[in-house]
Amino acid sequence: MTLRLASLAQGKPLRLAPSAVKGLAQSSRFALALGIVVVLVALDGTNAAAQEIGFRGFGDIGGTRFAAAHSFDAVLGTHSGLVFGGGVDAVLPSGVFVGVRASRFQKNGTRVFVLNDQVFDLGIATTVRVIPIQVTGGYRFKVGRRHVVPYLAGGVGWFRYSERSDFADASENVEDTFTGYHVLGGAELRMRRNVGIAGEAEWSIVPDALGNDLSGVSSAFDESDLGGITFRVKIVLGR
Amino acid sequence: MHGIRFLAATAVAVSAAFFIATTHAQQPSPAPLRALISDGALPGIDRGLRETPTPGTALVAQSLGDRIRQYAQAYLPDSLIVKFRPGTSPAALRAMLALVDGTTTTRLPNADFDIVTTQPGIDPEAAALRLASQPDVEYAQARYVVHPRFVPNDPLYAQQWNFPAIEMERAWDINRGAASSIIVAVIDTGVAYRGGTIRFSTTNSLAQQVFPGRTSVDILFAPAPELGGASRFVSPHDFIYNDDTPLDLVGHGTHVTGTIGQLTNNGVGVAGMAFNVSIMPVKVIGDLWDFVFALATGTDDTVAQGVRYAVDNGAKVLNMSIGRLGPPSPVIQSAVTYAVSHGAFVAIAAGNEFMSGNPVERPADLGPQIEGVMTVGAIGRNRQRAPYSNTGPQVEIVAPGGDQVADGQTGGILQQTFDDDFVLPPIGPPRFDVFVYAYEQGTSMATAHVTGMAALLMQQGITDPAAIEAAIKRFATDLGPAGRDDQYGNGLINVRAALRGMGLVR
Repeated sequence: MTLRLASLAQGKPLRLAPSAVKGLAQSSRFALALGIVVVLVALDGTNAAAQEIGFRGFGDIGGTRFAAAHSFDAVLGTHSGLVFGGGVDAVLPSGVFVGVRASRFQKNGTRVFVLNDQVFDLGIATTVRVIPIQVTGGYRFKVGRRHVVPYLAGGVGWFRYSERSDFADASENVEDTFTGYHVLGGAELRMRRNVGIAGEAEWSIVPDALGNDLSGVSSAFDESDLGGITFRVKIVLGR
Repeated sequence: MHGIRFLAATAVAVSAAFFIATTHAQQPSPAPLRALISDGALPGIDRGLRETPTPGTALVAQSLGDRIRQYAQAYLPDSLIVKFRPGTSPAALRAMLALVDGTTTTRLPNADFDIVTTQPGIDPEAAALRLASQPDVEYAQARYVVHPRFVPNDPLYAQQWNFPAIEMERAWDINRGAASSIIVAVIDTGVAYRGGTIRFSTTNSLAQQVFPGRTSVDILFAPAPELGGASRFVSPHDFIYNDDTPLDLVGHGTHVTGTIGQLTNNGVGVAGMAFNVSIMPVKVIGDLWDFVFALATGTDDTVAQGVRYAVDNGAKVLNMSIGRLGPPSPVIQSAVTYAVSHGAFVAIAAGNEFMSGNPVERPADLGPQIEGVMTVGAIGRNRQRAPYSNTGPQVEIVAPGGDQVADGQTGGILQQTFDDDFVLPPIGPPRFDVFVYAYEQGTSMATAHVTGMAALLMQQGITDPAAIEAAIKRFATDLGPAGRDDQYGNGLINVRAALRGMGLVR
């Protein structure tokens, strides 16, 4: 365990052989990454159990760009928007951490009709909301000046998707939860002993969440991933 | 311990921020919604009949509607309806409330159920599901918001089975009859759109047989009362008499125009689908009395002229409840292609010849050939293909056309048209100023439904004819064998579903 972490600290991230990765489905690769993180945390925890664990809370705000760009563009007029959220991390002395965060994206748009990529706005108000609850495990690198801490992480999330529109029966509105996976990286600047600020980028994939219903534009655009790329700024309280 | 304190404090702060962002703010106790200050009042003021609405009221209604829509939601937040079984103990009640983060129960007047208030952010549907599984709960549900369903107050509306069959009532909730900016051309036998007395020559040989010894007859016309005033009709034209007075001398065009846009919710007669559109009467067929007076009938060239005229004068939806047997018609095909290329959608009747060998009618064959043109078959009240309705690869969609064999006279489509007692009098010239509400059947009537739907879709925002066709097909209710078939095409039109369109996921 110690050797593995040391190698990471020297800038040699864990990698699978390209030939091994190539054959794996995208979601399988995420599951594998998540498994590695969990194993790392578990192994590290056995050594660190007797040591003090740092707990931190954070709030964040950022922007997200959904991978299903055509679908979000059609209904919301954009495939990006503000997200904000927060959560807690537990950080082991070795730098391994696990955390839970919840965030929220919400935007108003209108229902449409799509033919051959041409979008017709029907003017019926609709609200789309995405609330991911994510469990993340990763490693905080102790390199360079100690008050700047880069980190890498990955994990699994449950994405609560809601879509409500005017003139809809309750059964026509959408309330569903999908499982997704994510990797993220960032750097944290310690401003005081218990206060830090971090910038972070996350890439997530939520397979088969969209495109399953013929009356959805995601079906017309053949887009199924609810994930995307998120950049956020975090205020961190705690060590 | 230090870390745990931080964790607790941060978790509380983050949770609070999150819930504030994701839930509605809890309102303070509301003031009474109304109170009677005095029961004395002056008598009401009678301003008589108002034939045109005050312009300002429409603006106010629009503004209010926009504001109200901001509050539209499927059910109220933070509360649900629960009926607890009699004898539920306070302890059990408390336990059940705790199960859904409930705070209070309130018994309303005239109710045998309670309103359970929950903490902000609790999903009422999920809470209701949880409570419904408890043995002390008879039922639990969210407080779903009930919407008005537009059911026209026209007294004969109840006889119009065809409109509920295509979800018109809920469609009208979304789009209340389109707007006058949408011009629908009725390429037909003319329309009873104006009044007057017209002197017809009776010197031709046929007219002399009917009116022997007379050189002319004076015939009365009146506008159909249920089609609206003169301002509703735009650019009328007659390609049989080659003038701008396309009067109907048989009642066919008047009837199909009724399905498209009969005055609706006016407390009189029957309803129509797109009751606010402008109508362009274009007469391309001479029938019955036209033949007597002018030895005139419609031909491919008059039809083609009518189509091009309609499009050149601003029509965006064309109704062609017409057809003939024989070979294809390049001239009509060219005209219809011209119409679509100029942004007009065209609905064409599939034909009523199934029991006469089911020959392919023209121009019904054009539907599958041109995107933005649809060929329409007919169903009856029981959603079965009407026995007369042609079948084949040209049928793209079906709509109510009526089946009076299976369902009797009332199985037809009810709209206002001429009273046949006066169109075909036993003696003397006909009159076209006497109207009845008549049941008629045919793919002509079915076609008018698709035309009305297209007008609504166009006003809702689908401005491309090919997209209108795609929307009509996509949201149709499949009938017969799964998928497209030669009897029902892509199925029965569903106006509400098409108007509602597509969301991101559903």
